[in-house]
Amino acid sequence: MKSKRFAIVLDTRRCIDCKACTVACKAENSVPLGADNYRNWVTEEPLRGNYPNLGQNFAPGQCMQCANTPCNRVCPTRATGVNQDGIVFVEAKKCIGCKYCMTACPYNARYYNEETEAVDKCTFCSHRVYQGQIPACVETCPTKVRVFGDLNDPGSEVSRLLARYPTRVLKPEMGTKPYLFYII
Amino acid sequence: MPTIAKRPGELLWFALLGAGMIAGAAAVVTVLIKGHGEVYNLTREIPWGILIATYVFFVVSSTGLCLVSSLGDVWGFEKFTVIGRRGHLVAILTLLTGFGTIAMELNHPLRLALYAIISPNFQSPIWWMGTLYGFYMCCLIVEFTSLMRGWTRTAFISGLAGFFAAITAHSNLGAVFGLLEARHFWYGSFLPIYFIVSALASGAALTALIVYFNHKARRLELSPQYEEFMYTMGKLQALFLGILLFFVIWKLIPGLYGQPPEKYEATMAMLTGPLAFNFWFFEMALGILIPLAIVANRRTRTVFGVMLASLLSTIGIFFMRYDLVIAGQMVPMRETEGSPHLLSYIPSVAEIAIVVGALATCLFLYTMAEKFFDLEGGHRH
Repeated sequence: MKSKRFAIVLDTRRCIDCKACTVACKAENSVPLGADNYRNWVTEEPLRGNYPNLGQNFAPGQCMQCANTPCNRVCPTRATGVNQDGIVFVEAKKCIGCKYCMTACPYNARYYNEETEAVDKCTFCSHRVYQGQIPACVETCPTKVRVFGDLNDPGSEVSRLLARYPTRVLKPEMGTKPYLFYII
Repeated sequence: MPTIAKRPGELLWFALLGAGMIAGAAAVVTVLIKGHGEVYNLTREIPWGILIATYVFFVVSSTGLCLVSSLGDVWGFEKFTVIGRRGHLVAILTLLTGFGTIAMELNHPLRLALYAIISPNFQSPIWWMGTLYGFYMCCLIVEFTSLMRGWTRTAFISGLAGFFAAITAHSNLGAVFGLLEARHFWYGSFLPIYFIVSALASGAALTALIVYFNHKARRLELSPQYEEFMYTMGKLQALFLGILLFFVIWKLIPGLYGQPPEKYEATMAMLTGPLAFNFWFFEMALGILIPLAIVANRRTRTVFGVMLASLLSTIGIFFMRYDLVIAGQMVPMRETEGSPHLLSYIPSVAEIAIVVGALATCLFLYTMAEKFFDLEGGHRH
């Protein structure tokens, strides 16, 4: 049987910048307090137009679970690893805190967690996903910006969204082959 | 303590080093109690700070000392045999100090010792850095022992191995930065080559400083052989600083030409932004232009002039390391409305204290080594 390949498709036009995804993630994954400590974020894009005709978009993001992972490549002790389903994880006991992965990530998706004493990052809530649930950020979103699923299943919602809409990935020039797709 | 009583200068020297080491030790204890997050001014976007820069500075010094002092015992340039023992000893001490500094930057240096062996990643430049510098350290120790014992053959073989280990390890250190595609200011083959060139400039400066201050401390006049050595180091420094200037200029031009995204912002941070004073005053004026003017001019290329040029370029090279490490991280990887276009980093008091402590420890170890080892003998005359 072909293994799964998890991905998230985002429709950023729905995002209201409520940051419920960040709060849910922090609670679900015991992310410590502090401005630098977060696994996901909402980027505020530049304001468009002039008053009173204004517009702004918000783009939520997290680890892109890249297919070509710079973080995994540079880790000297293989603390960063990649599951068959594409989820990139950190094995805390092996992390030496050199922060090389943090400098290698073009998305600033990693931080050092003083409580687990290791670099930490989004794992698509793998502990939930492997029990048949969806990631906390996906579940909590009031406007359903994020859709999570298996791209190796042609019938999954993420597969159907990618077929129906054109999408983009962030920093494609980095060659990281991200698995977070933004509907254009 | 009759010797010290006779030498108030020595007492003052040890008092200064002691104060530096106490400051460093206090900072280390604070880090061990409170943790890195509380004590260091590092962030998730600028995770590498002055301790990484200091580590680079010390290992560059070690590489440079090894390369320059190998010229005598490995490559047969007789003039350089006078620095063989001291050069290799200080190469060992600066390398050890560098290791100590990076151990304070790593959150778990002990895990590194274990998992680099049982879970190695051969793709990681940091894994290679540890391995190659470890091998380099072994070569240096064997070479120093051989030079002290007069084992010419072993000194030659270990010196040759050490020479190539130094080049491999040090260019790989450049690759630690140079292989990060995400960091446009660092990425590419420039840094591995540049690191070797700057190591030569560093090594030439430090060997001249060792010779000069070693004689000063003992209140000895330089023998004609050492005077000749200082003049040669002056000429070599002129060459190395000239090449270094060439490298600095060619690092800047591609960062400006066509305003390449991210590389341009980092380059401008050095030229006109937050790092501008460091760059123009410390790197360019103190580090390259003034020393180059001193050693390139026959009238100022005196023993004192060469020492002064060496001291200035060593200070300048420290700032080169700092600016290089910080500029590469100043451009945010993710911009959001209202966020700064350049990130800022100012080292904390504890970080600076560790740097001071590392320098003091290195100088203390060298001063003690001068008392315990006969570093003068063993030249091939």
